[in-house]
Amino acid sequence: MLEARNISLNVAGFSLLQDISLRVAPGVVTAVIGANGAGKTSLLRLLTGEQKPSGGVVTFNGSPLVDWQPEQLARMMAVLPQSSRLDFPFTAREVVMLGRTPHATGLARDAQIVDAALHAVDGGYLDKRFYTHMSGGEKQRVQLARVLAQIWEPVTEGPRILMLDEPTSAFDLAHQQLTLSIMRSLAEQGVGVLVVIHDLNLAARCADQLLVLSCGRIAASGAPSDVLTSKMIREVFHVDATIAVNPVTGTPLVIA
Amino acid sequence: MHRLPPKTFLIVSLALLVVALALGLLSGPVAIAPTRLLGLLSSGQDMDSRILQSIRLPRVLLAALAGACLASCGAVMQGLFRNPLADPSLIGVSSGASVGASFVIFFGGAGFLGGTFELTAIAVGAFVGGLLATAIVYRLASSVTGTSVSTMLLAGIAITALAGAATSLFSFFADNEMLRRISLWQMGNLDGASWNRVAIIAAVVLPMMVLLPREGRALNAILLGESEARHLGIAVESLKRRLILITALGVGVAVAVSGVVAFVGLIVPHLVRLMIGPDHRYLIPGSALLGAVLLLLADTGARTLMAPSELPTGVVTALLGAPFFVALLLQQRRKVLD
Repeated sequence: MLEARNISLNVAGFSLLQDISLRVAPGVVTAVIGANGAGKTSLLRLLTGEQKPSGGVVTFNGSPLVDWQPEQLARMMAVLPQSSRLDFPFTAREVVMLGRTPHATGLARDAQIVDAALHAVDGGYLDKRFYTHMSGGEKQRVQLARVLAQIWEPVTEGPRILMLDEPTSAFDLAHQQLTLSIMRSLAEQGVGVLVVIHDLNLAARCADQLLVLSCGRIAASGAPSDVLTSKMIREVFHVDATIAVNPVTGTPLVIA
Repeated sequence: MHRLPPKTFLIVSLALLVVALALGLLSGPVAIAPTRLLGLLSSGQDMDSRILQSIRLPRVLLAALAGACLASCGAVMQGLFRNPLADPSLIGVSSGASVGASFVIFFGGAGFLGGTFELTAIAVGAFVGGLLATAIVYRLASSVTGTSVSTMLLAGIAITALAGAATSLFSFFADNEMLRRISLWQMGNLDGASWNRVAIIAAVVLPMMVLLPREGRALNAILLGESEARHLGIAVESLKRRLILITALGVGVAVAVSGVVAFVGLIVPHLVRLMIGPDHRYLIPGSALLGAVLLLLADTGARTLMAPSELPTGVVTALLGAPFFVALLLQQRRKVLD
């Protein structure tokens, strides 16, 4: 389990994050929402160990993140950044194969996992195509397949964590839905999922737990139906919205 | 883009290297029959065997080692900077070496240092200059949070400009003889080949050929981005330090023994990538082999085109390599359009 206790981040005299505590528990999907510049990506950087918090501590399985060997951590925790630039002509298969870098499961098993991960993101047809020739949505799907391949199987060392920073930003409706169902099925396998997402309705549909960031602080957290209120949306996003109930899924539906 | 199987490519390159080595040994002002080659190399006290053993063999080995070194360092730099247009001179090593060499030529004077000793002094000056420049670039780009590759690129440009100005100053105040030697050195030349130089560069390049391909997987991950590589379990900071040190040493030695042979470090990895793709596990050894072949052929050309006088090797690498590279680019583009 990944746990942040009272973490804060100051950069060049600005306080970007203050006093944030949260847990990414196995089998739970946590969605982080908030306005632009609220500190969502900074929070992700602290949780992944990319940046050290100015105060507080992030622990994984009880030990501070800094005490983990990078390779060991990489076998359990995969991170998909907002955008990745890759200017070299790898094929989709080769990019996804890079997700197996921290593992020593052998080429045959890795090849099976790469196939399965590509198919999971509806990217089987991309297999031999060059990454540099793909559309924005195809590239994002290949990157998603790469992080899926990284945590495809349970490992004996500990629970798996997946962190995604706006994974659906370049996706059409079908692939947005696909991403949601991938996150849900990973959670069912016991993976702890943390996703930064802009679309409140997508967040409401996929998350067990919502975390609302506003100016570097947690403005609200809890189950989507408790957190998504017109009052919260007015205070955090400065937008008047009506909250209805999705007739199919029963989750909150934000109409703005 | 159609790719060759990497292993086939490596085997073909190895065969090409053997052919290029033989061609280099056989060509020159004194023609040697191919059938006598092995006999002359192994024994014999006559003129032909002495030409082979003490002039041509060190020269072809030097060309092969320098070519392998420059091309594999180029492949590493392009990966580390995540830019297919990067080359080893980006970290300031070539321009720093130029200053070092010009400094020695200028203050050594035409008559003060003579013969072999002077050549060695120039090589030492080049090596020290190259390492110093890289050290400055690296310091400028490093902070408590790590080494920024983009700052490094800018620092490299600044140091290269500064070093260029210093070299120009030396050239400006130099007399005619010194000026000629400074500019000849900058064109890149292997005419100072000797067994000593072969031993020096072999001591650096051979371990490098073992160490660099081991970093192939890590370099592949780096192509995704530094933080992506970190999330894949790569210790990015120590990898960068290691690779920059190895490259600075490698290119520093290559430049010290052969002058600034341009073009090989930039073009060869590019060529190899077009043929077998960007996987560094094959790209690095492939670049080493093809770099050796290219520099060998260019040097053989430099020795024979205007025999008995010689052209600077660096001029020939560009004359041979550039049109070939352009042809390849055009061909690739046609394939993409089809």
